[in-house]
Amino acid sequence: MSNKKIFSLVGEKEVTKAIVGEFAKQFTEYVESDCIIIGGGPSGLMAGRELAKKGYKVLIIERNNYLGGGFWIGGYLMNKITIREPAQEILKELGVPCEEISKGLYVADGPHACSKLIASTCDAGVKFVTMTSFDDIILKEKNKVSGVVINWTPVQALPREITCVDPIGLESKIVIDATGHDAFVARKLEERGLMKTQGFGAMWVDRSEDLIIEYTGEVHPGLIVIGMAVSTIFGLPRMGPTFGAMLLSGKKGAEIAEKNLSI
Amino acid sequence: MLKKICLYNGVKKDFLNLHKISDYLRTKIGKIKIEIRDDFINYCISKIPSEKEKVKIAENLSIKIAQCRIINPNKRKIERTPHQLEINLEKKYILNWSQKPVGNFYDGFDLILIFSNIIPQEEISLDFCHIIFTNQLFGTWDEKDLRYHARVAIFGFPTIISTTGLVEAPAKPREFYIKKQMGIDPLVLKEEFRGKFIDYEDPRTTEVMKGYVIQALFFHLFGDPFCSDKNCRLYNAHWQEEVINAQLKSEYEFCSKHEKILTKIKSQF
Repeated sequence: MSNKKIFSLVGEKEVTKAIVGEFAKQFTEYVESDCIIIGGGPSGLMAGRELAKKGYKVLIIERNNYLGGGFWIGGYLMNKITIREPAQEILKELGVPCEEISKGLYVADGPHACSKLIASTCDAGVKFVTMTSFDDIILKEKNKVSGVVINWTPVQALPREITCVDPIGLESKIVIDATGHDAFVARKLEERGLMKTQGFGAMWVDRSEDLIIEYTGEVHPGLIVIGMAVSTIFGLPRMGPTFGAMLLSGKKGAEIAEKNLSI
Repeated sequence: MLKKICLYNGVKKDFLNLHKISDYLRTKIGKIKIEIRDDFINYCISKIPSEKEKVKIAENLSIKIAQCRIINPNKRKIERTPHQLEINLEKKYILNWSQKPVGNFYDGFDLILIFSNIIPQEEISLDFCHIIFTNQLFGTWDEKDLRYHARVAIFGFPTIISTTGLVEAPAKPREFYIKKQMGIDPLVLKEEFRGKFIDYEDPRTTEVMKGYVIQALFFHLFGDPFCSDKNCRLYNAHWQEEVINAQLKSEYEFCSKHEKILTKIKSQF
């Protein structure tokens, strides 16, 4: 039997050093960014991708250890996702095969669509912090949203009595709320009496997607809201398991952010 | 004495032809003047002479219309301060409702109240019957089951008629909802039930709306737009099947009682 090893000889300490060193280097660089996006679902990924493609420094905060949110699964644990015209153009741009099953309705494999979107977002230069939860907002002059306070997700899961882990703050010129129906970022503003959310309305698949795009926008100085969070803030009808509005809302949110960043 | 019927076109799509509705009205009511006008808000604002006043009224309207939105159909609408973005969106479409995306749900009586306040002064009289066509969805609160119900038309001064309401308010066949609950895509269901309900941009819309306009006329003249005869165009249909029957399939247009009233109207005017 040959003594030749397949992999290079690296010890445990080198592996640990590499992880800690590289994470710390990136984290230090991203304590200040152009845009922080809370939520790594389809709308957040799309917004990040578009902004990073334009050369902006973007950090996505995701509470889970995986990206993509509900985009992996279409609905009812079935991993076929539906997209309505014209959003299939984005799938085509990402190189995701999709089939038109009825006029204006396209179906694609969830894992294929989600992984391609994640890869494309990474390729564009977006950086991620996963297993990290949004804890609070940073408000500066005239109550402008100027960053976020974050903590490890597991800290939230532990009883307060046995955890005393202070969060940390990250600064950015723009924050995007892509936290889905929870609208966590907007709700922090609501807690401070700075805005009012309405809660989402009854499901109306036919119409809700158009409205999500229409109402995507800057809801408070420094805070842009995209995706299903839009529905919660403005009391729009709930969507069914269709994802076109998530992608296009992310794209529109990025356009608004870009406009604000370029001022 | 009714002198003029004003039909306002806030839809501006081929599937709703107000000229055909106007021609139909002429055959029923004789010489009463009928005028087809642009979108209602647009028309009313265009009649205001001062530019400054126009801007002020448009701003005020955008706030009031945003306040009319029903967020939860199971809760009575409460006074709320709309977000500036909502107001801005209403303002964006204030002069062009036909371009406004459909999906919001408004309190219909509140809308009528807002609209009644911008009717040109010289036309605030029972001599004028104002009928507004819109693609926006509205409803009314029902004290019996404590929830809002979408409506095709709400009769008043002015009357508002919704093309979206025509699709969403009268119930579709029961099987449609059962299958929808089972998770079948609504687009697939629409194909399966095609013809059994009035759909968006349905070519039958104009024909159906003729009946609703006559209902509006009866409300204006007598305060009662409805008839209990399921085959009469004045029947207050709650199911799509009933709408299709009363407006499209029935062997006669109006029951003998209402036919006589229409003949009388025609001879009087």
